Amino acid sequence: MAPAPSIEDLLRRMAPEVLGAVVRRYGHFDLAEDAVQEALLTASRQWSPGAIPESPRGWLITVASRRLIDLLRADASRREREHAAAQWALVEQPVAPAELHVTGSDDTLILLFMCAHPALSLSSQIALTLRAVGGLTTAEIARAFLVPEATISRRITRAKQTVTASHVPFRVPPADERQERLKAVQHALYLIFNEGYVATSGQNLHRVELTAEAIRLTRLLHRLIQQDVEVAGLLALMLLTDARRAARAAPDGALIPMARQDRGLWDERLITEGVALVTEAMRRGPVGPYQLQAAIAALHDESRDLEGTDWPQIHALYEVLLELDENPVVRLNHAVALAMVDGPRAGLEALSELEADPRIAGDHRLHAVRGHLLEMAGEKAEARESYLTAAKQATSLAQQRYLNGQAALLVS
Amino acid sequence: MKYMILTHASQQDYDAMAGKPGDRSVWSADDFAAMVAFMRAFNSELAESGELVETRGLGAPAHARRIQPGEGAHVVTDGPYAESQEVLAGYWIVECESFDRATEIAARLSSCPGPAAVRARASADVRPIEEHVPDRET
Repeated sequence: MAPAPSIEDLLRRMAPEVLGAVVRRYGHFDLAEDAVQEALLTASRQWSPGAIPESPRGWLITVASRRLIDLLRADASRREREHAAAQWALVEQPVAPAELHVTGSDDTLILLFMCAHPALSLSSQIALTLRAVGGLTTAEIARAFLVPEATISRRITRAKQTVTASHVPFRVPPADERQERLKAVQHALYLIFNEGYVATSGQNLHRVELTAEAIRLTRLLHRLIQQDVEVAGLLALMLLTDARRAARAAPDGALIPMARQDRGLWDERLITEGVALVTEAMRRGPVGPYQLQAAIAALHDESRDLEGTDWPQIHALYEVLLELDENPVVRLNHAVALAMVDGPRAGLEALSELEADPRIAGDHRLHAVRGHLLEMAGEKAEARESYLTAAKQATSLAQQRYLNGQAALLVS
Repeated sequence: MKYMILTHASQQDYDAMAGKPGDRSVWSADDFAAMVAFMRAFNSELAESGELVETRGLGAPAHARRIQPGEGAHVVTDGPYAESQEVLAGYWIVECESFDRATEIAARLSSCPGPAAVRARASADVRPIEEHVPDRET
């Protein structure tokens, strides 16, 4: 059984609902967000397991609203000082009858869309999503990305100002923009997951688990729009990738490729959930890039060993993916699948086309795959050269040690 | 006050740490694991005490680019350093009460495990960071 949610979990779950309620009532997205953060902080100091207000959400909305009013008054008196003639009054914005029926979930969805606002850079979208929807503090976000707190703080402040200045009404985007915006939301969540997954060294014990946070927010999004099959695909992809996490690195931080991972360490529960999600999504269709990547991850996760992997099926899925999303990393993976089906020579031939692509020609992954395929083909000396080139181009020590290790094994 | 602690290494040192075959002083898996464990503990203690502002390791000098003014346009040189030249390899910015405290922190790096040849040449520098913060509203 899962342990009872902690106060921190409770607060983070409520963060977007409270912010939504306050913004809906008073507007002023940027100040409202500050006010909600302060209310959450107050709650985390004052609440204890036996002493949680009867309506935690109502308590938070009240405290945040009061705080917002203080902030608005301070803002107003500053303006008055600056412009003697400033006229300012704090008026509650009238609430349209239809909006009286909105729920916290609707607000959370609107916030997700707002945080993926097209005027914001990707890094701002990510920071704002983690704070406004994820309920993380600026310090936690800064630690997660290993950047100074001041950097994240400025990024969030500017992002909020941009959103406020854009005067987007606080509601779900109109139908014609919705699909584009939803893509941006998914992309931001995908990047949060990836950042957490790729970070191998984990220098900091306080590092908030970005993968877990990305999964939590994607689950939320999936719950809010069950009918979107790509959101389901994204969630499945995250679960099926995260399932392999424990097997992915040795105790010294060295990377272990899938071929050599101890499959007993893979998380069965995540695999079962991810497979069910992607199967159902693909049955409903239409198919999209996240579903295809999830389906590929599922085929890997479901096979007991490398040899038993359904490579023809994986190869076919990569073919479809290439049609939807022509990108060099997909081509690289496609070449590996091709090699597993038709032999290393076929894979190497596919790679040679990629070597002319400036988007990936200098990338260590291209040379690492080349080394691997040459090794499969029995070309030891050439494989060794490719591994050494890949090691030279890799920037992380863990990758370099892995690639140099592969080269060292090929001393004839 | 803020201080910067700097460590230095050459391309050869980087290659040895990356396990490049053929290098005489290659770090073994155990050497590497011990170093990673040390750094993890070192960094998390500094974060815990609130003294760590930021820390980073830099990529190998082979990946460096140098930009210089030239005739008409600037000139970019890839990998401007000699193999054995020591360059900045990593840094910590710490915020602590005194230069002595910053020195104490840097001194702990001297117990970082590693191959004997590496330890024999290791050093860390500490330098105060100039802080001219313009007056501004908080």
